[in-house]
This record gives sequence, C-alpha cells and structure tokens, in this order.
Amino acid sequence: MDFSNMAITKLPNGYLTIVTGVWACLMVAMVEGSEPQRLTYDGRIKMGPTFLDDEELIFVDLAKPELTSILRMNLRDGTIEPLHTDAKSQELEPAFSDDGVYCVFLRARGALSVELVIRNEREKTEAIVPPANGFCGFRTPAFFRHGKRVVFSYAEDGRQDIFSVNLQGEDRQQHTQNNGMNYWPSFSPSDEQLLFGSTRDGNYEIYRMKPDGSEVVRLTNHPFQDVRPQYSPDGKRIAFTSHRDGNFEIYLMDTNGDNLQRVTNHPERDDFPTWHPDGRHLVMISERQGSHDLYMVEVD
Amino acid sequence: MVLEIGDLKARTCQGPTRRGFLRLGASLPGILGLGTAAQIVEGAVSRAPRAKSVVFVFNWGAPSHLDTLDPKPNAPAEYRGPFGVIPTRTPGVHFTELVPQIAQRSHLFTLVRSHVTTSPGHPDGGTHALTGFPERPLPVKPNFGSIVAKDRGQSGNLPAFISVARGAVMDGGRILEGYGGGTLGKAYDPFLAGASETGEVQIPSLQLLDGLQPTRISDRRTLIRQLDAIPQNLEAAGLEDWNRTAQAAYGLLMDPQARNAFDLTKESPQTRQRYGQSVFGQSALLARRLVEAEVPYIQLNYSRHVEAITPGFEFGWDTHIYNFDLLQDLHCPIFDRAFSAFLDDLNERGLLEDTLVICMGEFGRTPKINNRAARDHWPPCYFSMWAGAGIEPGRVIGESDRLGEHPLSDPITPLMVGTTIAEFAGMDAQSRAEMEVLDGGTVIQGLL
Repeated sequence: MDFSNMAITKLPNGYLTIVTGVWACLMVAMVEGSEPQRLTYDGRIKMGPTFLDDEELIFVDLAKPELTSILRMNLRDGTIEPLHTDAKSQELEPAFSDDGVYCVFLRARGALSVELVIRNEREKTEAIVPPANGFCGFRTPAFFRHGKRVVFSYAEDGRQDIFSVNLQGEDRQQHTQNNGMNYWPSFSPSDEQLLFGSTRDGNYEIYRMKPDGSEVVRLTNHPFQDVRPQYSPDGKRIAFTSHRDGNFEIYLMDTNGDNLQRVTNHPERDDFPTWHPDGRHLVMISERQGSHDLYMVEVD
Repeated sequence: MVLEIGDLKARTCQGPTRRGFLRLGASLPGILGLGTAAQIVEGAVSRAPRAKSVVFVFNWGAPSHLDTLDPKPNAPAEYRGPFGVIPTRTPGVHFTELVPQIAQRSHLFTLVRSHVTTSPGHPDGGTHALTGFPERPLPVKPNFGSIVAKDRGQSGNLPAFISVARGAVMDGGRILEGYGGGTLGKAYDPFLAGASETGEVQIPSLQLLDGLQPTRISDRRTLIRQLDAIPQNLEAAGLEDWNRTAQAAYGLLMDPQARNAFDLTKESPQTRQRYGQSVFGQSALLARRLVEAEVPYIQLNYSRHVEAITPGFEFGWDTHIYNFDLLQDLHCPIFDRAFSAFLDDLNERGLLEDTLVICMGEFGRTPKINNRAARDHWPPCYFSMWAGAGIEPGRVIGESDRLGEHPLSDPITPLMVGTTIAEFAGMDAQSRAEMEVLDGGTVIQGLL
C-alpha cells in the first residue's frame, strides 16, 4: 500500500479516520482551517446543502438538465449516493428534523406545480401537502419545535408568507402577515426566535421575530441582496449570503446584526451557507472556474 | 419499407441497407436541409452581407425584463421586484444586480427596450418570435434561420441552419411550430445539435447510430460498423426523420473539418471554464465554434423546454412561480456568465465584426407581480440585445414606460426583427420578395 497519500486526521465531529488520496489532503487542510476546502469535484450545479448529522451532508444536485436530485455525502469516506433512489421528479430544498427521522423537501408534481413532502426516512412514508390548483409551489421548508412542525414559505394573494404545519401536513398556522415575499425561515436552537429573509422593505433583507410574528427586528440594510440566513448551532451567530460587494459572498453577523464579518472573498460566487453541527465550520456552494462544488470553511 | 432520398431507393424488409446508405451519401451534391446546388445558385446573395453568421440567442420561456435589463427602481413595490440596480458601462443605463457581467459589457451591444408582440402564449409567441408571424392563420412561416439558410446555401459539409439545444424546442410535449422551414419546406428545418454541461456534443440525428459521436468517427469502417444498427433503430426513430436528417449526419460524419466544428475538446480548459459548466454555457461555446466554421445561422436556445420547473423538462425561463428565486439561483448566474463569455470570445477573436448576435425571448413578463409572487406573460413590452456586424454598440434604442408595461417609443415587432436580420444577412427587399418571405417587414431604425 502506498502510504504517501494517507493521513490520520480528526474530523469536525471528533472522529479519527484514515483517509487516502485527494481526500486525505482535503481533510487535513479542512481541520487546519484556512482557505475553503473542496468537498466535491464533479462541478455540477448544486443547491441547498444541509447536514443530516455531523457525518452526513445532504445537498441538491442538477444531475441532468431536467432533474434535480437530493444526494447524501458521507464525510467520513467521501461517498455520495441519492437520498431517494425512487425519485422520478425534481426534488429541491431538503431539511431534516433534529433526530434525522423526517426529511421535508419540495417535489415537482406537474406543470409549474410543486408539492411539500414530509417524509419519514425510516419507514419510507410520506405526508404530502399539495399546492393550490394551477401554477403554484412551496418554498424553503425547515423544521422547528425540535422536529415536530415544518415551517415553509408559500405565495398566495400576491404575497409570500411563512406558514407551518405538523408532521402530518395539517394544522396550518401563519407566522408572517406582511406585503412582500418572506423566505428562508430558520429557528434558533431554543425555537424562541425565527430568522427569515423578506422583501417587505423593498429588497431582500434579513429579519428576526418571535414565532407568533411579534417583535420583528430588521438585521440588515443594504440595497443589494441579503439572503439565506441560518442560525449557528449555538444560536449566537447568523450566516448568510450577500451580494453587497458585487457578487455573492458568505457573511457572518451576531444575532442583533452587529459584528458583520465577511467569510469569503472571491470574484466568483459563494452561496448557500449551512452550518456544520460543530458550529465551527460552514459548508457552502462555490463557483470556481465556472464549476459548482461543495466547499467547507472554518469560521471559528 | 421504402426509403427515398433523392433518386435512390433502397428496399428491405428491415429498413435501409448500409450499402444503400453509403451509395446515397456519395450520390448527392449536398446535404438535405442545406439546399441543393441549384437552390444555392438560385438564391445567391444579392450583395455582400454585413453578417457572415447570425446567432439568435433564444431565451425560450421569456425572462422578465424588469428583473434583468429594464429595471424600474422607482416603480411601486408590487412592480419593481426585489433586486437592486447597478450601473452599466453605458452612461445612464442600469441593469439589475442579477446580470453584473453583462452590465460590464454594455459597450459591446445595443439594447432595445421597446419590443411588442401580439402572441400571449408560448407556442404562438415562440413561433412569432422566430418567424415574424403568429402560428395562425396557416401556413406557418419559415424560421428566420431557414430563410437565411435558403438564401445563403451550405458552407462545406456543415448545415446552413443549426439549432443548438438538446432537441427541438418544445412547449409541454409539443414542438414549436416555428422551429423550422415552414412554407419553405422541411428541407430547411434546422440541423439539431446540443451540448451537455461537460461539453459533450449531442446530435439527435446520430442517435440512430448507437454510441456514435462526431469525435469517435475516425474512419469509414467505424461508420459502416455502426450502420449495422440502423434497421432496428429506424423503426423507433421514424422514417420521416431519417429521410430528413440522415444525409446531413452522414455528410458531417465523413468530413473531418465539419466534425471539428462540433468538437469542444479542441478548446482549452480555460475557455470551457469561461463559459461555465452548464448546458447553456457549453452550448454557447459550441455556437462560437460554429461561427468560426462560418455556419450562416445558429439558433442558440437557453433551454429545450419552456417550463421553469416541471417533471421531465429542463428548467426554462417561464417563471409563473419562483420567478425571483430561479432568476437569482439558476438562470441569471448561468446566463450572465455564458452570454458574457460568448460576447468576449467573439470580440477577442475578431469574429464580432462580421457576426450578428441577437438575444431575446418571445415576450416579457408581467410588470405587476402575480398572486404567486412571480410574473406571468407580458407581450406588450420586452427587450433584446444586438451585437456585432457593424452595429454601433453601447446604445439603447426604444424606451418603456415607468412601469415597464408599454413602449414609449415606436414599438418593434417580431417581423421587424426578422427583416432586420435578413438585411444584415445580405437579403434585401427584392430577394425577400422573390423568396416570398417576411412580407411587409421593415427594419429596426437605428440598427442598420
């Protein structure tokens, strides 16, 4: 065996592992934390990464021009496989309950018609929330109340508000009531604060509020896009994407909007930040030389 | 089964024989779809064209004008959309933040902001955009590319009109009626070619020959071996398609120079990266190679399908839902990169001087945001970009009103687009009249 490309390294989850080849170099550099480290190499268009747990990364891959698939990547061995081997239609925007049992995602069901699917990944059962008739769809689902409810964005009557349903797709409750489009709900670990993006003041900005819609606080204020906010696992920081410097870059800020930090700085796109469960790393999708891959960056 | 192409008839109970096919390939002066030698003489260009090649970049599905190149930052919130505006290199002209690279290349093209069409749906609007006339009344008129192809004739063994996509452009399950020759006949339908996101060129007519790709044809024996598979494949593919396209494919396969035009592996990694790893990006690179090979007319389609998100269909510009999301996440990043690279590449190689580039959809999208927080079809106002062939760049022709609902200046119709293209391609009013095309058309003032 050629040991020149082997490394014994410590993953963000604390595991020691032996890895080889390119992956060895990758993992060592990742732990050392400097420049963003590349996790995938196929270059296909990707979206919406999220962690299932500290070992498994889920993301959406434009597998074919007519098909987006949800893939799962094992960070220990680098293997990538479809999450739903029976998927026949476009699937988008996956999110997982804390215990990893439930996955919520979007699935195209007809011409410009997209349903919300709450799937028990152990029992392979699904609760489906259908869109209204005609052209209609859901957006940006997530879990809260420790995996007991699903929150999402849904457009009707010319605005797009944030709603939630239970795991059976029932008991719909409305969390925002505002002109404009409201997106990307992200709950604090305590479920006491709901972070979201909104165009209510004219362009994409990031806000925080109580789940009942009260005590709304605007956290960003810039004429270009501030989008895709995500609470850190400890609830103390927010990662988001901003176009404020002329292209998409990843930023961090405190939960009150202070202490803005730029994480990436590259002439091509860095987008879709998601926190590793260790709270010290972000995974994002970066465009480099025209290709789109997953990268991990240390932010601690 | 009888196969008829030209004067050859090959009869077999299973389909055409490979021997018959090869005889056929040697027997005709040209390739079907390119016009015969007689047609080439008859349709000789009446004067030197300003554009050796025309590239029609078809944003099939129709991008929002307000969210891209005609923003209305002072319109009410229910109109203007959520994107910021940025300056371009043209003083006083702004685009949205979604197209920063195109904004930096505004000195390479002229923007037209006063298009109108009367066709509100995709099938009709698409046909109108590509032919200058609505679908009805019949007969369907020829695609601008078919007109140029008939007038210009073939260039070596390359087809004169190539449509770049992963098949004929479609709305739902229906091929767009205006995609081809119309009244000029199916002989002037486009030759179809597409590229994958990694730059593998796909030619649907070669799918009759399992596993055959231009880069893999090095000798006649290889082709003959592959031809053994024809009879069984022909049944599924349809005899009519075979009649129309097989000779074009044959001519292409047997001509190394023609094959070379379709071989993106000849490009440096840097060039391929510049266009981006996307179907549209690599398709745009293929279009540039076809321009270098002096193909007279190339229709470069953003996507094969119109729908934004529908099972089994590519992601198109028809954003009745997810308009802002898809523009932000998918369409505009892909388009901004690839179209900018395409303009730069043509310009740096000196090809833009005698190549006409037009980029447009079939209509605009509703200035007022719809009930699904997106935008629907809007025929009364949309935009286009025109570059190359001596057009003075860095200008804006036409103006839309404060909400982007209607042109304030003289409206520009699809027929005017086709007529202007024809003029650039060297077809004056007399030659158009002789061909009985683009009847009643006038040119867009300020472009010529």
